[in-house]
Amino acid sequence: MNNPVSLQYSRSHEWMSQEDDIAVVGITDFAQHELGDVVFINLPEVGDEVTAGEAFGDVESVKAVSDLISPVSGTVLEINEELLDSPELLNDDPYANWIIKVENVSDTEELLSAAAYADLCETEA
Amino acid sequence: MSELKRTCLYDTHVSAGATMVDFGGWEMPVQYPTGIVAEHLYTRSKCSLFDVSHMGRLLVEGPDRVRFLQHVVSANVDALLPGRALYCILPDENGCAVDDAYLYRFEEDRLLLVVNAANIDKDLVHLEKYLGGYDCRITNISAEWACIAVQGPESKDLLMQLSGGEQITEPMKNYVNTLPLEGHLARIAKTGYTGEPLGYEVFVKTEDAAWLWNRLCELGARPAGLGARDTLRLEAGLPLYGHEMGKDPDGVPMPVYSAPVARFAVSFAPQKGDFIGRAALAKQYAAWQRIMNREGGDNSALPRRIMCIALKERGVMRAGMPLYKGDRQVGWVTSGTMVPFYKAEGEGLESVITDEVMKRAIGMAYADSELLPDDEVEVDIRGKRIKAVIAERHLDTMAPPYARPIIYGYTLAEHVPEEGSRLEKAVRLLEKAADNHEWRQSRCINLIPSENTPSRAVRLLSSSDPSGRYAEHKTVKSFYDKDIFYYQGTKFIDWVEQQLVEEMKLFLGSKEAETRVTSGQMANTAVFSALMDFKNRLNRKQTPLRLGYVLNNHIIKGGHLSAQPMGALHDYIAVDPVTEQNAVVNFPVCPDNIYKIDVEETKKVIAEYKPELIIFGKSMVLCKEPVAEIRKFVDEQGIKTTIMYDMAHVLGLIGPHFQEPFKEGAEIGTGSTHKTFFGPQRGVIGTNWDEDELKYELWETIQRRVFPGSVSNHHLGTMLGQLMAAYEMNTFKDEYQKAVIANAKHFAKALAARGLKVEGDPAMDYTETHQVIVSVGYGRGAEIAERLEKNNIIVNYQATPDEEGFTASGALRMGVSEMTRFGFGPAEFDKLADLIADCILNGKDVGEDAAALRDGYTAMRYCFNDEELGEALERLAGMLR
Repeated sequence: MNNPVSLQYSRSHEWMSQEDDIAVVGITDFAQHELGDVVFINLPEVGDEVTAGEAFGDVESVKAVSDLISPVSGTVLEINEELLDSPELLNDDPYANWIIKVENVSDTEELLSAAAYADLCETEA
Repeated sequence: MSELKRTCLYDTHVSAGATMVDFGGWEMPVQYPTGIVAEHLYTRSKCSLFDVSHMGRLLVEGPDRVRFLQHVVSANVDALLPGRALYCILPDENGCAVDDAYLYRFEEDRLLLVVNAANIDKDLVHLEKYLGGYDCRITNISAEWACIAVQGPESKDLLMQLSGGEQITEPMKNYVNTLPLEGHLARIAKTGYTGEPLGYEVFVKTEDAAWLWNRLCELGARPAGLGARDTLRLEAGLPLYGHEMGKDPDGVPMPVYSAPVARFAVSFAPQKGDFIGRAALAKQYAAWQRIMNREGGDNSALPRRIMCIALKERGVMRAGMPLYKGDRQVGWVTSGTMVPFYKAEGEGLESVITDEVMKRAIGMAYADSELLPDDEVEVDIRGKRIKAVIAERHLDTMAPPYARPIIYGYTLAEHVPEEGSRLEKAVRLLEKAADNHEWRQSRCINLIPSENTPSRAVRLLSSSDPSGRYAEHKTVKSFYDKDIFYYQGTKFIDWVEQQLVEEMKLFLGSKEAETRVTSGQMANTAVFSALMDFKNRLNRKQTPLRLGYVLNNHIIKGGHLSAQPMGALHDYIAVDPVTEQNAVVNFPVCPDNIYKIDVEETKKVIAEYKPELIIFGKSMVLCKEPVAEIRKFVDEQGIKTTIMYDMAHVLGLIGPHFQEPFKEGAEIGTGSTHKTFFGPQRGVIGTNWDEDELKYELWETIQRRVFPGSVSNHHLGTMLGQLMAAYEMNTFKDEYQKAVIANAKHFAKALAARGLKVEGDPAMDYTETHQVIVSVGYGRGAEIAERLEKNNIIVNYQATPDEEGFTASGALRMGVSEMTRFGFGPAEFDKLADLIADCILNGKDVGEDAAALRDGYTAMRYCFNDEELGEALERLAGMLR
């Protein structure tokens, strides 16, 4: 599994990158693999508030539904609308397909490095 | 926690990279690396393998095996003949399901009951509780046998590669067979849990399972896991125990009749006796009937039913989510997910399945019984109400080889209204009719075996004055059976009818003929009606008994539609109370020539069923029917029956060059007069009893069932045409029949010589009739027939006796009679074979060549020519101007 070192990772299998004041959030390769075929995604709307450690949406695979947990608190700046029609992009490349962008970040969960996250995945696999 | 059990294919799954999960105590593959969506789509488009070896395989043996099973399963086990399988439910005393199961009868003396993996122990305890008093035993053979489900449109082809070309099973669902696959014994059922029209479950010895799995993968099948199995069965609307059967989300047991499959899985046949749950099931059945009839009343025995549901808004529904209608909760979702499908473009037979993948959110729900398809409901998806609708079904499986998604709300393209005034439309109609006439009569090579072109004289007579008249008549005993007419102005038609009856008696070789029926189908209906009336003639104080048993050719084996329960037999055939099916048995066919009746096997069937009526005759017909052999057999055995020959397709061939049914022992013959015969579209009935025979009364009944039973106006115009056609036939039949059969044989050989696969026995030059059948590849018949039509060659596509039905047709049915009449001989059929082979095998455009070939052959043969008929013909033609 190849988790980019430039990203940070949550224990609930989201990734985050931060540029200036904006956080970009997606799901990890481990997450998409565990989910299997992603067939549907529920996203917040632009302007919604999200809270670190709480669900901001969900992804549905053929098998089950999983919450998407926000690693940060802030305001939704943008959502990846392409995923609404093609949620399978999350299976194809979870790191190239971000899910939401958050601004006014006020709080951030404690996140893991790529190496530490790889260890976590190994214990969960 | 006890250790998970593994099937004999466990290592195979793991080495293929499967994700293994706990499923009812078994460690099973939920998906392979390709994923559930890809596995689902591969099943629908190609062929997938499912390891279903975890399911419980229980063998029931012993003298009381059927009696015991009748007591413990819901279905009618007496109706399960060797070689068949059926779906059933194991009910409890309250009419709820202990489990659902499939019962296979590979052998007469042993029945195989396959139950859900998680329920094996529970089922065994349940079954053994009732075993006392029955002389039979149940053996759990789950460990010795494995089972692989081979499902999808290519499944038959893949398995036939392993059987060396042997047919796997009969083409109909629920048939089973035992045969070797590359030397490994296999018990195969045409069953499955995916909704695929082509799907098999293959039982093999445990030690052969990995071999079969890997061999099928080599040939192109792909493994699929429990995930795809679940999405496939959900799309097909098939229940899963624990979801659509068992207990509802409140823990209340669900009545068996809440599942739509109960309708087929439950029987109240008398020979089942007081089986487990019978009383409760009978109450549910009564409630179900009230609900289906929308009668209201007390539905407490069946408060909710399982139905299909589709989301109308974005989202995905899951099992357990509540269902609302307004503020009222009306049930729960029992299964739900997003399933993929390939988008289809175009409509009807010409629709094309593209490789564009779409998805839809569908499910099944356990909801208030009164809900109907199209009712709007809402699903509570994690606190949000999402609009949904009750759907009739999610998938249709009746157009093999593909299962087709039924998308809720899809509508066919609207009919575009014809523009212009009625006068303009009338002119357009005339122009189009002339175009069509010109195309069909001078540019087209017509090879539809059930068609013909009548001669000019026949056509002129058919449109002359009597075409607008009535001439009802019947024989009256008070006048010594003199025909009495109801209307004036009918003396001419009386003369015509008397002539026609004499000509048809002569042609058929029968003692009587009835010519008023206006189609072959009507001829059969009148005969079946008369047979039933005759059967009941001595007791008119009860509802008449229907016919049973009837022996006929199965429609899949080429049987004529007009002799089937779905055709003319529909209202006259009994239901056998033992099998709860139409009292029809079919002629067995020869294993080495499926177009030919197997006489020795037929004798066994006749001895067993003692059919009241034996109907020879087919619509896909290459061989003579063994009338004489069967007549001899029933006479020797003293079996009381009536032998009928439905000559529809071969009427014009009746005679020494083909066969003479009445001479060979048929008592009744029916036919349509426009296929190989020269007439306009009508029917005929002949019978062969003498006046002093008991059955002469049946002939009189037939006449009454024709008039007033079937016709009041018997279409007098075409009756005139028919008389001319009968004159032509009785004058020219010897040379016509000889030429047709010789041409058919020559054409068949010519097509075979050009590399086409001609059906039938090469030793008899493939055919003994006017028909030639060419196999063009499974499911390709319609497409190739359409291609030939674009090239001015008209044939009809047909399913061969080993194919599933008309959408799966892999053959073209052709007849040479019409082109023979237009003067085609061996040289012309050679040229035609060149064109057809070029068009089918090389994809060449031969339309102009076909039109040119036809162009030289537009003059009608085997009829009186215009000069011979002279002024009389021209005078009539002039009047009709």
